[in-house]
Amino acid sequence: MSRRNRGAAGTTFVNNVRGPTSALTSFLNERGIRRANPAPAPVPAPAPSRSPSQDGDQAEEEEEEPAVSQPTRTARLTRGRSSAAATAGSSAATSRSESIDVTGVNENEDEDDSDSDDDKVNLVPISVSVRTTRVTRTRAASTAKASKAAASSSASASKKRPRKKGESDDSNDEDFHDITGFVPRTKFSHKGRMPQGSNKIEFCSRCRARFTIKAGTTPAVDDDDGGLLCPTCTGSSSAGAVAPAAKPIKRPRRKAQKAEIESQVPSLQDLCIQKIANCIEDVEAFGDISDISMDKICKIISRNRSLNTETLQLFLDPRHSDLSLHDCTEITAEGLKSIAQFCPLLRSLKLKLCGRINDDVLNYYADHLSRLSSLSLIGPILLTDKAYAKLFETVGDRLERFELKSSSRFSIDSLKALCTHCPKVTHLRLGDCNLMDDDWLTPIAGLANLRSLRIRNPEPDRLTTASMVSLIQAVGSGLEELELKGCTTLEDAVLVEAIRPSCVRLERLNMMDCEYFTTEGVETLFKDWTTNRGLSYVNLENCVMLKDEALMALTAHSGGTLEDLNIKGMDEVTKEALLTLSRCENLLRLNASWCRAMDDEVMEVLVKAAPRLEKVTVWGDHRLTECCPIRKGMKVVGREGDYIDLRFI
Amino acid sequence: MAAPAATENEYVTLESADGFQFVIHREAAMLSGTIRNMLSSPGQFQEAAEGAIQFRDIKAVILEKVCKYWYYRARHANSVTEIPHFEIEPEYALETLMAADFLDT
Repeated sequence: MSRRNRGAAGTTFVNNVRGPTSALTSFLNERGIRRANPAPAPVPAPAPSRSPSQDGDQAEEEEEEPAVSQPTRTARLTRGRSSAAATAGSSAATSRSESIDVTGVNENEDEDDSDSDDDKVNLVPISVSVRTTRVTRTRAASTAKASKAAASSSASASKKRPRKKGESDDSNDEDFHDITGFVPRTKFSHKGRMPQGSNKIEFCSRCRARFTIKAGTTPAVDDDDGGLLCPTCTGSSSAGAVAPAAKPIKRPRRKAQKAEIESQVPSLQDLCIQKIANCIEDVEAFGDISDISMDKICKIISRNRSLNTETLQLFLDPRHSDLSLHDCTEITAEGLKSIAQFCPLLRSLKLKLCGRINDDVLNYYADHLSRLSSLSLIGPILLTDKAYAKLFETVGDRLERFELKSSSRFSIDSLKALCTHCPKVTHLRLGDCNLMDDDWLTPIAGLANLRSLRIRNPEPDRLTTASMVSLIQAVGSGLEELELKGCTTLEDAVLVEAIRPSCVRLERLNMMDCEYFTTEGVETLFKDWTTNRGLSYVNLENCVMLKDEALMALTAHSGGTLEDLNIKGMDEVTKEALLTLSRCENLLRLNASWCRAMDDEVMEVLVKAAPRLEKVTVWGDHRLTECCPIRKGMKVVGREGDYIDLRFI
Repeated sequence: MAAPAATENEYVTLESADGFQFVIHREAAMLSGTIRNMLSSPGQFQEAAEGAIQFRDIKAVILEKVCKYWYYRARHANSVTEIPHFEIEPEYALETLMAADFLDT
């Protein structure tokens, strides 16, 4: 089941829903993102006046009959289990609501057997009736009033139409917003919202939970033994209602966090670079600044779109051997030519968004850049086969790295010229080349020195598994890096028959968006793969079919060597598999977004196991709370409930 | 002046190319990686011994700016509130950048 198939399956239930869906809902359905491992259900606000009016609710339910499809959806989204648990013991529940819940259970079990027992308890609905089913869940938990609760909650599930008028619009966006704005987990033991900075971490004298004392605040003191109290215990001891107490807390926290970000003083270099970039038009020459600063200025003015033929001259220094221009849109062909005139010693040239480069310029480069060994062209829409052929012929043996992206004119003839004239190419990167198909892979197989091969986003269905297998079998033994990003049609044979036997030196493997790779395939690849010493970079982003075994096999094989791991979107994996990440002692960066089994415990294990961990990305991991354990100097990006940190976007 | 006493000194003297002397707090000067290395390297360098450093390539205007920045940074390093913007005149930005590059600030 690939993402596409899944999307198709998704549409069947989406079509049952009446009324408009929000952009977010359709997006999530389209991406096959489901609610597999939702956040722990927040504590609901007390709903005092509801249960006594049972009869009235039932009457209202009758009125709501036409909107049957909506409760059905609710039931499905709750995965049936929690509401079923509520209804199971209830005698007072109406037959109507019972039947709804039962269908919910059946659907759920057909669709998804992999939920752990733990999940059964925590399941909460994603959308339409978040509030009502929240009620369901807690009522179910309080066994004393189980039957009454079930009746009122099932009734309240159908009562949401009248309710929503008084409250907010009930699109999904609103509900997501609602979940975050609800100040959930008010009963959660850790209240350490701001673990970094000058805050202090203490242990509560009553509940022994760790909590954070914000800078400039004094925590409450326990009357009994004089110890410090965490905010939760403070709240409960003061006998105040939980919900009203939560509101005033929220604002200052956000503000303080924002201030903390801003308070990091930028370096003087960055301040100057910013200033210079702002008035780049008035600069006559840079003088003696470091290459790093120059590159930073170049990046900033590229973003401002003020890199043009005039400002380009500032970056051209005859001593330079590397030049990287991040946005050449405004640079004319003449300007691009001047690069070769002013920097004849260039070894490496990288031109991004170089739509204006034409055959004339490329010929000029071929003739005048006598040391060129690395060329990178992004978006050269005007260049023709002729110019490429001449370039490869002239540069010949010198060429070591060639990168080409977003070109619809680079054809197999050019590629053949590259492979014939430049046998020493070690790094080849071809991305978004519209003409790429199976035939392209044959000449690439002749590049015996290839160490890094990146084939990115070919046109769909143009590359077949068989030809990719023969390519990797031919060049695999030398490869240190292999990227097959967006080669969506490739199947397991690439992993099992090509990569496993051939790629003994492989260190970096990128299989992003390869949706047809199965758990078995990945497991077979990594299991007892003794010929390979371990990978340092693995990207499995959006390989949505992969389950526990795949991740476990990967960590078992490459645990000691992995530095960068991306398992974004693998939401089938459970906590058990995520805990095996503790084998990755050298991990530096981890992207576990949308792996919704990720929680504080996994993070704690990870932080302990990987002392060098710098950055963890956790978008959409609802179980990870603000108080998850992190180390100083480590970045956690995308936690729910955190402020949105614009620096990472 | 005795060498050990000088290293304990609370202030250091920075001299610009055109002869201006800036006596600034040691803590502030230590915010520069270059100066930190100069003052705390194990060898008996004259700079470390005397607590005075001469910069032959940095003009007084620029050095003053850099010193201001160190104090600005020391003052706001752990600030929780919003910090004011550090103003750099455009005409000095490039030279300040060169100095900042050199001083690793």
